[in-house]
Amino acid sequence: MSQPIIELKNVSLNYNDVRVLHNVDMEIEQGKFYTLLGPSGSGKSTILSLISGRLFPTEGDVFIDGKNVSNLPANKRQVNTVFQNYNLFPNMNVYENVAYGPNLKKLPKARVDELVKQMLSLVRLDEFIDREISELSGGQQQRVAIARALANEPKVLLLDEPLSALDYKLRKEMQYELREIQQRLGITFIFVTHDQEEALAMSDWIFVMQDGRIEQNGTPVDIYDEPINHFVADFIGEANIVDGVMKEDYLVNFAGKDFKNVDAGMRPNERVEVVIRPEDLDIVAPAKGKLQVTIDDQSFRGDFYEITAIDDYGNEWAVQETNPAKIGQRRGLNFDPEDIHIMRLAETEEEFDARIESYED
Amino acid sequence: MKVFKPQNIFLAVVFVILYLPIIYLIVYSFNKGEYMTGWGGFSFKHYGELFSDNRMIEIVIDTMIVAFLSSLIATIIGTIGAFWVYQSKNKPANSLLYLNSVLMVSPDVIIGASFLILFTAVGISLGFTSVLLSHIAFSIPIVVLMVLPKLKEMPRTLVEASADLGATNYQTLSNVIIPYIQPGIAAGFFMALTYSLDDFAVTFFVTGNGFSTIAVEIYSRARQGISLEINALSTMMFIVSLILVAVYYFISNNNSKKTRGAR
Repeated sequence: MSQPIIELKNVSLNYNDVRVLHNVDMEIEQGKFYTLLGPSGSGKSTILSLISGRLFPTEGDVFIDGKNVSNLPANKRQVNTVFQNYNLFPNMNVYENVAYGPNLKKLPKARVDELVKQMLSLVRLDEFIDREISELSGGQQQRVAIARALANEPKVLLLDEPLSALDYKLRKEMQYELREIQQRLGITFIFVTHDQEEALAMSDWIFVMQDGRIEQNGTPVDIYDEPINHFVADFIGEANIVDGVMKEDYLVNFAGKDFKNVDAGMRPNERVEVVIRPEDLDIVAPAKGKLQVTIDDQSFRGDFYEITAIDDYGNEWAVQETNPAKIGQRRGLNFDPEDIHIMRLAETEEEFDARIESYED
Repeated sequence: MKVFKPQNIFLAVVFVILYLPIIYLIVYSFNKGEYMTGWGGFSFKHYGELFSDNRMIEIVIDTMIVAFLSSLIATIIGTIGAFWVYQSKNKPANSLLYLNSVLMVSPDVIIGASFLILFTAVGISLGFTSVLLSHIAFSIPIVVLMVLPKLKEMPRTLVEASADLGATNYQTLSNVIIPYIQPGIAAGFFMALTYSLDDFAVTFFVTGNGFSTIAVEIYSRARQGISLEINALSTMMFIVSLILVAVYYFISNNNSKKTRGAR
């Protein structure tokens, strides 16, 4: 494996004597799109600040390009940040904002011009080069902020919830564009967000964080399909999580019945949590279903109906269906063995990976 | 459009009452006669007297020099002070800010008297230096009061963004922070300038033989009966004030146009 471009080794951070980051290990490779995902206060922006040099670790070390930068100030690091509130300089116009970094590096005027034009065309703002910042909309200001950070030709671009101030449509558009810019430039992006949809749509690799710890990291598909614990399952997408017992390999018991599944490597009769995603459940005739349920509630979501059903053991099941159901009706729920995902209680990421490897090849 | 709404009439009356004496004074500066009673015809003769009055010209120049120098130095010191208060999060800085406000509201007579005591105790001779020092002193709080809100209004993340792009502290200061708070600095400077120009009480205490400012000079001349030369001088000072206000208005207007909505 090539050397990671950014590495956090056992990094902890205290803020006013409160530990906000616990022993974080992280390896970031060249040229990929990473996302730090977590609820507010989970420490994801803190990690960004540690990489950019706005904060310094209490314990542990930060490496950029193999060099220990733990005590290097922000202005000496080859990473740049796109901030949530854009932070454009109001006393400068678009050109001057984008040229700020290159000018500080004392690049020749022709090179600065070239960089500014190149970056503005990358974010499709060529026409706006002479505008004042106050004349731009929020979305345009965000693009200028991206161009300004990229004009410094960073090895890694850090994006601190850059899209959260934009409206839904614009956000979608910018997600697509950011991804495209990243692929075109081939540099590493580290993107911070609390929006799991955004994370799943954009990333090559996701770090899910909670309370200053990394709960799980992996590709979007891995994290969605095989969440390691209750928090991750609940935070990423919607999930039905019920208690169950793993009777033996490939056989789980929940809601009063045994079901075939595809997980293994637990102790016999181990207590586990069972996850089934709402879109994996189908409503069928009662006799054809693996579970018998009563329809409790339903709401229209535009492209689907969100239906709540209750089984005979009192478990609630959220189901996404394109066709409406009748409240109070007796129906069956059907799903495939692959749709069942088992989570052990308090399993660490290493244990989880080792167990998966033991039976999957 | 209805112009004669009660509130408009009230406003008009207030302005007339405020400006009538000034207009009266200005009109009589063009009087041919010697007194403010009885209009004897239009003439520039009092302006002629004024410009041939070497002592008066000297005082005007002295006043300008004191005003300009004191507000310049006070702006520099006050801005640095505002930075210091802004940066430090501890108690002393805050109590200093209260002391700052006390200086703003305490009567000029008391400030003047205390400066007089200080200067005589320390042994600074009364004259240009003492006037300049005291003007600097009472202008600093004004500058701090004008600059500090601008600093507090500036998002701290703007400084972080600058450092993130590779700027040293000094580069951030000159490229980002100073331009941001510049309207506050300009406002502080102009406020200090006007305070210094029209200060009477403090100057009256700390000035000595051979040095005088316009305000003090007018006061001492008025006791012997006002000559219309004073009217001419006042008219010119009034015009200078108008220009200052216009300049200040232009600067602040220009700036708000630039900064509006830019974050």
